Amino acid sequence: MKKFFIFTFFFLIVLSVVAWKIQPPPNPPGKTELTWVSDDNPARRGQIALFNKLYPKDILKLDPDNSGMEKVIVQSLAGVGPDLFDCYDGFQLSAYVKSGIAWDVTDQLKKMGINVKKQVWPCIFPDLMLDGRIYGVGTNVSVNAIWINKKLFDEDHVPYPKGPWTWKQFIPIAEKMTKRDSTGRIVQYGLLCDWYNWPQFIMQWGGSIYSPDGTRCTLDSPQCIAAIQFMHDLIYKYHVMPSPVEQAAATAGGWGSGTISFFAADKGAMALGGRWWLCTLRQNSVPMDLGVVPCPFGPKHVYLGYGKATLINKNSPKRYEALNFLKFEASKAYSNLICHQADGFGPIKAYIHDPIVLHDPAYPQENYNQVWINVMKYAQPEQISPFVNGNTVTIIINKQMDLIQGNEKSVPDALRTATRQINEEIQKTIAIDPTLRMRYEKLTGRTVN
Amino acid sequence: MGFLLPNLLGFLIFTAGPVLFSLAVSFSNWNLERTVPFAWTGFENFIDLMHSQDFWLYFINTAYLMIGMPLSIFGSLMLAILLNQKLKGIVVFRTLFYLPSFTSGVALMILWKALYNPDFGPINMLINTISHDLGGSIHVAPAWLLSTKNVLGLRVESVGITIRQWGLGARDALVIMGIWTAIGGNNMLLYLAALTNVPPELTEAAEIDGASKWSLFRHVTWPQLAPTTFFIVVMSFIGGLQGGFDQARVMTDGGPAGTTTTLAYQIYTKAFEQFQVGYASAISWVLFSIILVITLINWRIGSKDLNY
Repeated sequence: MKKFFIFTFFFLIVLSVVAWKIQPPPNPPGKTELTWVSDDNPARRGQIALFNKLYPKDILKLDPDNSGMEKVIVQSLAGVGPDLFDCYDGFQLSAYVKSGIAWDVTDQLKKMGINVKKQVWPCIFPDLMLDGRIYGVGTNVSVNAIWINKKLFDEDHVPYPKGPWTWKQFIPIAEKMTKRDSTGRIVQYGLLCDWYNWPQFIMQWGGSIYSPDGTRCTLDSPQCIAAIQFMHDLIYKYHVMPSPVEQAAATAGGWGSGTISFFAADKGAMALGGRWWLCTLRQNSVPMDLGVVPCPFGPKHVYLGYGKATLINKNSPKRYEALNFLKFEASKAYSNLICHQADGFGPIKAYIHDPIVLHDPAYPQENYNQVWINVMKYAQPEQISPFVNGNTVTIIINKQMDLIQGNEKSVPDALRTATRQINEEIQKTIAIDPTLRMRYEKLTGRTVN
Repeated sequence: MGFLLPNLLGFLIFTAGPVLFSLAVSFSNWNLERTVPFAWTGFENFIDLMHSQDFWLYFINTAYLMIGMPLSIFGSLMLAILLNQKLKGIVVFRTLFYLPSFTSGVALMILWKALYNPDFGPINMLINTISHDLGGSIHVAPAWLLSTKNVLGLRVESVGITIRQWGLGARDALVIMGIWTAIGGNNMLLYLAALTNVPPELTEAAEIDGASKWSLFRHVTWPQLAPTTFFIVVMSFIGGLQGGFDQARVMTDGGPAGTTTTLAYQIYTKAFEQFQVGYASAISWVLFSIILVITLINWRIGSKDLNY
């Protein structure tokens, strides 16, 4: 036993020496290290490399392990937060601002000559703009369209669909492309669509999650019910889209997995997704023959635009140096890189007309970029309400959506329950938050007791 | 005192301090969003909690995940008896059965998630194959982590029972996984240690008197194991009431439809996702009270039968 402990002791010493030897070298003197909390998309490597090349006085490093909003807030409030962090929606921005960690860069951007309101895609305004103040430039933008697996269409001699088209026109094609095995089990779906795309359907059916002033949830409106009922019908009436159980095989988790992998495995002839899917699809072991058509539309011809913004930690001692990253995001070099990497599009509208966006010499087979450029025109921002915590809303809606997807509750019942619960949360919030209460009273003309 | 001071200070700063702080916070409306002014709210959080349907549903979920406890304790005992035999290579068996305890919990959960996959999971493939061989449908297997059904038929959105909810679902999947993890875990080790401490003269005397294997176990071994069983039951109750966070975080996100959200997971979501730290602290203290009461009841009932 004594020998064992002596051996272990020396083994640990050897390991320590190895660890000491392989530790990364310290930063060269005069360089500022900036930490960016973001997802582990492989595209980040290229973005960081370009930043470090263009701004030699800074060293940008990725920290993908602390990307949860709660982690960012708690760590930043405790003084150990990142210098830069990503914000994915309006609720997150509101939470970052309210907790005092998002730096208001309105004046700094003005000095740098960046006019966000004029230059940036409006569909990501909720991610970077709150009450007229600006907190970032935008990291990328995207909008969904329909990916087409041309091989599957060719096998069945079905002509590729063309846009613009409606969901009504979409159904027969999706039905034609849905295939079953001898036991009746579906082995190829007409459409793959993540259920979290429901806000786009609501938008297309003319509904909205909240009233225009955000003071009331309106998910129980006839338009919202019709939109979600249509999604439900895609699974249970038309049988062209997998149910949650059927799609479980696609939910392995992690970046770039799930529905994208399912699509890449020829399990769906069409899929609703963004240009950023290419980050994964390009890496498919068997190169896919892909096409893109605009997403069908409902009563309204709109699509949900989305993206993210990178914000600067207000408590970071290196926040002025971090401004370089926002400058970088507004550059043409950055936009072109985002297009080349297919991580959506860059945040600046004007750069979408650069020839490299349409025809990237590195990817000549991607001859559908004009479709992405066209659909960006219809991209609308998501709707949020300042009067309720977005995570609370997500929990409430997810619970009801689980029941709808599982065919355990009717769409009208589920949406009525969600609406009632969200409106109750709004009332609770304005009861404890005096600033929001004043705003609510001003908007509704009603006094809250 | 000087010798104890570093440890004592550490305890006061890092354990007792935060615990008392959370008690104080539970009487406030502390919200991480700075627009909500801090105020002492008395028992408001506790009253809200008692009137919240979600709290009771999540309490039921927490209790539900503990229904496998008797089976896992029984399994640990049986396994310990088996591993207490004087066989060649028994150490290897003991290590193998203890493996789940020192394997990363997250890794195990990801593995189980794959096992429960309704489409290509080995569990459902086996069920469907057996069903097919018996002449039934090949699509009879449950949806496991995606289903709100449960063996007690508990309703999803209200407290109650309905036949519509009867079946196997996410909660049952977590219970089965919990039993598997617990059988070869620390309980098995505790029983193994207790079995080696049973005085050999007692078993020898019983054997000389002609006691059967069952009588030997029932009247000699089992009573000697009573203190260990009592300890295991108490600790299992405590662990069970605090449990469910890892499974919810890694496997289900608390779904489907909140059916695997336990009180521990609710504390996390309320504090760090919805920023209601005061309310989350109140849940923590109610959970602590429940654990305390159950432990005292266990103590009162269990200690009566302890003769060794």
